[in-house]
Amino acid sequence: MSTGLLSRIAETLFWIGRYVERADDTARILDVHLHRMLEEPSADVDAGCRALLAILGVPPGDDARIDIGTVLARLAYDDATPSSITGALQAARTGGRSVREVISTEMWECLNVAWHELEGRRRAAERLGPHAFLRYVRERAALFSGLADATMSRDEGWHFLVLGRSLERIDMTARLLSLRMPSASYAPDWSMLLRASGADESYIRTHGGTGEPRLVASFLMLDRLFPRSVLHALTLAEDCLAVLDPDPARAGFTDAARRPIGQLRTRLEYTDTALLLEQLPELLTALQNTCVRATEAVADKYFQYALPVAWEQEG
Amino acid sequence: MGWRLQITHTTRVSYDGDARASYNEVRMAPLTLPGQTVLGNRLTIEPHVPVWSYWDYWGSEVSSFDLQAAHHSLVLVARSTVETSEPPPLPDSPSWSELAACVESLRLEEYLAQTPRTELSPELAGQVRALVRGAEPHEAAMLVSGWVRDRVAYVPGVTGVHTGAQEAWEDGRGVCQDFAHLTVAMLRELGLPARYVSGYLHPDPSAAPGDTLEGQSHAWVEYWAGDWVAHDPTNGVPVGECHVTVARGRDYADVPPLKGIYHGAPSSTMDVRVQVTRLS
Amino acid sequence: MADIFDDYQPAAAWDEMFERAGVPRAAYGPVLAALQPLDPAELRFRADQLARVFTDRGVTFDYAGEERPFPLDLIPRVIDALEWPTLERGVRQRVLALEAFLADVYGPGEIFKDGLVPWRLICSSAHFHREVSGLTPPNGVRAHISGIDLIRDEDGRFRVLEDNVRTPSGVSYVMENRLAMTRTFPGLFAEHHVHPVDEYPARLLAALRAAAPRDVADPVVAVLTPGVGNAAYFEHTLLARLMGVELVEGRDLICAGNRVYIQTTQGRRPVHVIYRRIDDEYLDPLHFNAGSVIGCPGIVNAARAGNVTIANAVGNGVADDKLIYTYVPDMIRYYLGEEPVLANVESYRLDDPDKIAWVLDRLDQLVLKPVDGAGGKGIVIGPHADAATLDALRASVTADPRGWLAQRPVSLSTVPTLTERGPGPRHVDLRPFAVNDGEDVWVLPGGLTRVALPEGQLVVNSSQGGGSKDTWVLAADRGSAQAPEEPPIPLPRAFADVTVPQGGPAEGAQQQ
Repeated sequence: MSTGLLSRIAETLFWIGRYVERADDTARILDVHLHRMLEEPSADVDAGCRALLAILGVPPGDDARIDIGTVLARLAYDDATPSSITGALQAARTGGRSVREVISTEMWECLNVAWHELEGRRRAAERLGPHAFLRYVRERAALFSGLADATMSRDEGWHFLVLGRSLERIDMTARLLSLRMPSASYAPDWSMLLRASGADESYIRTHGGTGEPRLVASFLMLDRLFPRSVLHALTLAEDCLAVLDPDPARAGFTDAARRPIGQLRTRLEYTDTALLLEQLPELLTALQNTCVRATEAVADKYFQYALPVAWEQEG
Repeated sequence: MGWRLQITHTTRVSYDGDARASYNEVRMAPLTLPGQTVLGNRLTIEPHVPVWSYWDYWGSEVSSFDLQAAHHSLVLVARSTVETSEPPPLPDSPSWSELAACVESLRLEEYLAQTPRTELSPELAGQVRALVRGAEPHEAAMLVSGWVRDRVAYVPGVTGVHTGAQEAWEDGRGVCQDFAHLTVAMLRELGLPARYVSGYLHPDPSAAPGDTLEGQSHAWVEYWAGDWVAHDPTNGVPVGECHVTVARGRDYADVPPLKGIYHGAPSSTMDVRVQVTRLS
Repeated sequence: MADIFDDYQPAAAWDEMFERAGVPRAAYGPVLAALQPLDPAELRFRADQLARVFTDRGVTFDYAGEERPFPLDLIPRVIDALEWPTLERGVRQRVLALEAFLADVYGPGEIFKDGLVPWRLICSSAHFHREVSGLTPPNGVRAHISGIDLIRDEDGRFRVLEDNVRTPSGVSYVMENRLAMTRTFPGLFAEHHVHPVDEYPARLLAALRAAAPRDVADPVVAVLTPGVGNAAYFEHTLLARLMGVELVEGRDLICAGNRVYIQTTQGRRPVHVIYRRIDDEYLDPLHFNAGSVIGCPGIVNAARAGNVTIANAVGNGVADDKLIYTYVPDMIRYYLGEEPVLANVESYRLDDPDKIAWVLDRLDQLVLKPVDGAGGKGIVIGPHADAATLDALRASVTADPRGWLAQRPVSLSTVPTLTERGPGPRHVDLRPFAVNDGEDVWVLPGGLTRVALPEGQLVVNSSQGGGSKDTWVLAADRGSAQAPEEPPIPLPRAFADVTVPQGGPAEGAQQQ
């Protein structure tokens, strides 16, 4: 790892990690919520849809009523913004194309085929419902992760990819949990949150079928073994940063990216689970801020190649 | 008997904000030529950076350097000491009909081709040919130079480094760069190979040794008629003790004293000062 | 036996596969034998599969902002074992002459002093870059990679159509086509001994390393791309990947103190050889187009200082000029003291009023080419042009005779190519790729055969509805050495095998 990776490529891998994870998480969240809304005619569809848009940071727009079709258009099919599944996969594929020579052919083909297929899957979803589309997205994301795992050397590039994926996962889980904030107008039950995180089965094997809010929150936030928990993702992100810069300082850490992540990870590890629910709002805010700060610090430290685009002439 | 001149050419570039990753080329070193001997020259740059130099295609000495760190200003001081001499006698010119063969055998074609800066309208080109009908090459060159001076007024600040010959002609105003571009363009229309010369001018032909005067960065022309002949169309004089030749090319674009690019604020101001001292 | 070539009628040109209808040339025997039994529908199915594979793999070129697969025709083009060495020799000779010419243009200029090539052609060429005059590359090589475009005329003679010593592209398709063909027709390659093409990246890397500045023990090579939007981006990534070098964009490079570095997560790393796929005009905003944001300012001076090698060299375009092309046979005699192995297409320079008049009288019988065009742009094929086109051409040629070259229209040779109605004759050219490492010029066996897919189309280019074919150079001898087979080692299994005891009846193994 002594020679270093092109800064531009490091940044691109970081964002591929984030975008693929975002597409995956968004598909999971949408699948569970849409399923519930379709199942329960009594549910307040408008409020539920607004809540979904809100947690994913998409403005609701001027529509008087928002229905499932709007949500899908904005969060699943929109190719103009990486906040939607299609946009995120497109951004990941564009990124993949620009780093083709450093990722394996299989990883590239996975991104490329997904992008080419997506339009057909969307059209199929118009007839068959969104489930098959969302399932396809999850499968491609899983395939991509699996191929990365199987074909990528554990070099710097790998650590940037996993770092991006981990930070995105923390961010998305925090957003999902914020649906349960007391201020929320629409509150899905806890079991839905578990399913939206792909955590339901793992949770039941751990804690049995009781969906006690404290246990669910602590599973999603603090579980040391479940790979989609916030603590697990934080630990992984921290490990990546530690490999990228072993930081031999005798006291403290100089790495501006590692510090906020390490601080939060420590805080979560020693949180009293009995008090977790009360502290949750504050913790979620801290999580989202940490993701932003860490991303900025990583960019400052490793992605310093981008000069302004124009040259000025003198003389 | 020639003069010994000392020239101090100071260029100060100020940027609105930080400039970074700046790459520059400087053409300010006088040439040693028959009739001109360089006794010394030195370029200093603030902020200090190492300078590397090479000779370009046109035979000019180029100093190149880059500045990576952020800076607000760039100061260049080019100092040189040069011995100049009186104009040499005019060479015997070949006839118009012999010129074409000389151009080919001496590979002077690129001094006959117009550049974007020297392109003239067909009307103006026709007028030039009419003007010199019947004249021999040297005579024709003087007629062209005189005509340019008659029709274009020396007015600083109206034209810029990018102004073309035709444009200056139509405006009827310009500076030495425009006079030189127009003269070069017209001589080429006649079939006389001509080049643009960048250099310095001592403003006072009767100056006594020891005085330091405000000089200027100047431009004039050379045309080929049996040999290269240097002529200053702005002042209508042959090139002699007061002129110091630095670089020669097809037009200004081949010989800019300072050329560079950088990252940073788009606006910068450049302040240029030339001081000349007749030493002896 | 009825087969897909039963109805094949060669066009009025040299057909590469058939001497005349129904009589195949010897070199194509095995290809025919393999293709004949195939059902046309089966062939089409395989062709569609192939296009799909290319799209999935991103083997595309950008056309009008869209990524398209470069269509590969399933019928290969075969070059006879006896014919190839001549082509190889001709290409090598041409490259060496062009190298000598470029060294002369940017050096002493002997050929102009001796009056063989008029200096005026050089100093009026838009691609003559005075900025690199006097810049001598470390091992003297300027055309590290060349693509010499060949065509075969009506009499079966190969001729040079044009020289490309700037940044010839297409070699990635040669490698991808071969890969695709071996997958689609695995049996075909077992029958033939076809020269492999996968040696190219190693040859290229060796040539680039050989071009490094002299004092560098272990030179770092990078491929410089304009970015994902470039038509040949796929090729840039493929070459970088196969050579195991960095693919960089201008913004990844930093030039400081006349040295070039790559910006990495661990700081700056020096780079010594840059295989650039960026045109001269955009390479260095200090010297060329100051508005270019895809280049690297300072790189030309770094090359001049001998700290980095730019491949291909800046200023090579002067040799691609179509007027200079007409002098290449003379250059071969002048610099190498040899007779040209490959002839040019008969060409007419518009350098005196009589010739201009002669050409203007015959625009409808000639091909007119812009002298600095690339990719078939601006070419007018007189016999196929309508009156309006010819009028416009007449005006352009009259206004700028230096900008044009006239040639005899050559009916390019044809190869059977799959169409909706079965195989039909389509015109092809051939671009062999040559790599010069300073010691030797190596020519990739075969090269890129481009095929004009519209019937009768004579301009063969990817941007003009072109496709390509796998190009086979048959080897004279067939390798027969086979590695001795090792006994296979069985895979381990998780549970104790239930095996049939040797010699006993099968029933005896059953547990009671």
